[in-house]
Amino acid sequence: MVKEIERAGIPVVHICTVVPISLTVGANRIVPAIAIPHPLGNPALDASEEKSLRRKIVMNSLKALTTEVEGQTVFEE
Amino acid sequence: MRLELGNIYINDVKLSDTTKVENGVLYVNKEEMLKEIGGDEHIKSIDLELAHPGEEVRITPVKDVIEPRVKVEGPGGIFPGVLSKVDTVGSGRTHALKNVAVVTAGKIVGFQEGIIDMTGPGADYTPFSKTHNVVVLIEPVEGLKQHEHEAALRMIGFKAAAYLGKVAKDLTPDEVKVYETEPLFESVKKYPDLPKVGYVYMLQTQGLLHDTYVYGVDAKKIVPTILYPTEIMDGAIVSGNCVSACDKNPTYVHLNNGIIEDLFEKHGKEINFVGVIITNENVYLADKERSSNWTAKLCKYLSLDGVIVSQEGFGNPDTDLIMNCKKIENEGVKTVIVTDEYAGRDGASQSLADADPKADAVVTNGNANETIVLPPMKRVIGTTEFVDVIAGGFDGSLRPDGSIEVEIQAITGATNETGYVTLSSKGY
Repeated sequence: MVKEIERAGIPVVHICTVVPISLTVGANRIVPAIAIPHPLGNPALDASEEKSLRRKIVMNSLKALTTEVEGQTVFEE
Repeated sequence: MRLELGNIYINDVKLSDTTKVENGVLYVNKEEMLKEIGGDEHIKSIDLELAHPGEEVRITPVKDVIEPRVKVEGPGGIFPGVLSKVDTVGSGRTHALKNVAVVTAGKIVGFQEGIIDMTGPGADYTPFSKTHNVVVLIEPVEGLKQHEHEAALRMIGFKAAAYLGKVAKDLTPDEVKVYETEPLFESVKKYPDLPKVGYVYMLQTQGLLHDTYVYGVDAKKIVPTILYPTEIMDGAIVSGNCVSACDKNPTYVHLNNGIIEDLFEKHGKEINFVGVIITNENVYLADKERSSNWTAKLCKYLSLDGVIVSQEGFGNPDTDLIMNCKKIENEGVKTVIVTDEYAGRDGASQSLADADPKADAVVTNGNANETIVLPPMKRVIGTTEFVDVIAGGFDGSLRPDGSIEVEIQAITGATNETGYVTLSSKGY
């Protein structure tokens, strides 16, 4: 899906836990997620900590989306 | 570490008023057995049925399959840290009842439990159509949480296997096999010219009912470590898995791991089989990185020349498999990986979720997405009401006449990634 949307000219950020698979599949902008059963959150945290975690992932993704890349790039925090 | 494994071949199982083995027949006192393995507060009812090879019987949903074994000499007992005290096992003598299996079944726990057909086309796909099965049917109390349900029937399965195994303690085995692993330096001194080969045994640890236990420790909490192969034959590793039925390792397969047995067969002749490195398949990337780093580190530290790596399950564990392969190869150690495939029903899709050019020696145990039609059976042990929702099933899998169309993914052990199957593949 990442590749097809990009083929249509729209940049895509792939948020995913298993970064190596995303690299194998060919995503260009990759943001690491938390864990496979809960990519965008962490049930071990309390609500306010989790909200802050989620916000960080979204902000990092928006930053990735607006960053020019040459080839596959992983946006660690 | 040296283990004598005494095999007692059973050719029939019958209900009786005494539990014993006589002339190759295992007699089971159902009432006594249920009393010994029952009593869990989470369980509403527990029952026992027998299923024999060739009978028109379907068992589903199957959770685990376990071989009855008993410790005869040496430290510890079967399933250390789970049923027995946590002594280090794998030495002395153990007896096993061959051609017999305890099968745990009953209302579904998760959605990834299996089907065993004792005859017909489905029987060819499961190794457990060839065993005389003592099926323990377990129904939970209302409102029981899934993880408590899984834990309760996991323990009942082990207790059932231990109960039956006990009768083998004073029997004279039909054959005794000896498996021995010397301490590393001694074995290298003894076989200086043989290549040093290890086995990297990946254990399913994705959590949420996909778990494996090592001496009672939840394996997602371990870092890779070394076991003597014979520890595994005494039940050091047990399954707590409700992952896809075709390629999880039931406890039976841990006890009878074919890769370990074949490596032992060649030990001292073609290779020096120095031991087993166990590792996990966790859901955090950092865990995947750490565990694969450590397997590679241990392979190098043991100066191995080659390893076999087997996977359990599929999907994101494909990445653990490829990470292990790549990193071990990067240490200059040759690898062969053993896996299965999810290549779509037509077999045309990419087989694994991850790949690497270093994975150039691969053994596959079949395409789990292949479909099969299982004809109706005269008797169902358990219930077929969940067939549409188990992994490999789909809406309409269960047909009005009782036949079932499913992917072979739904059949217990169909594409087992230790090769405990008849399926394989060839390259042309």
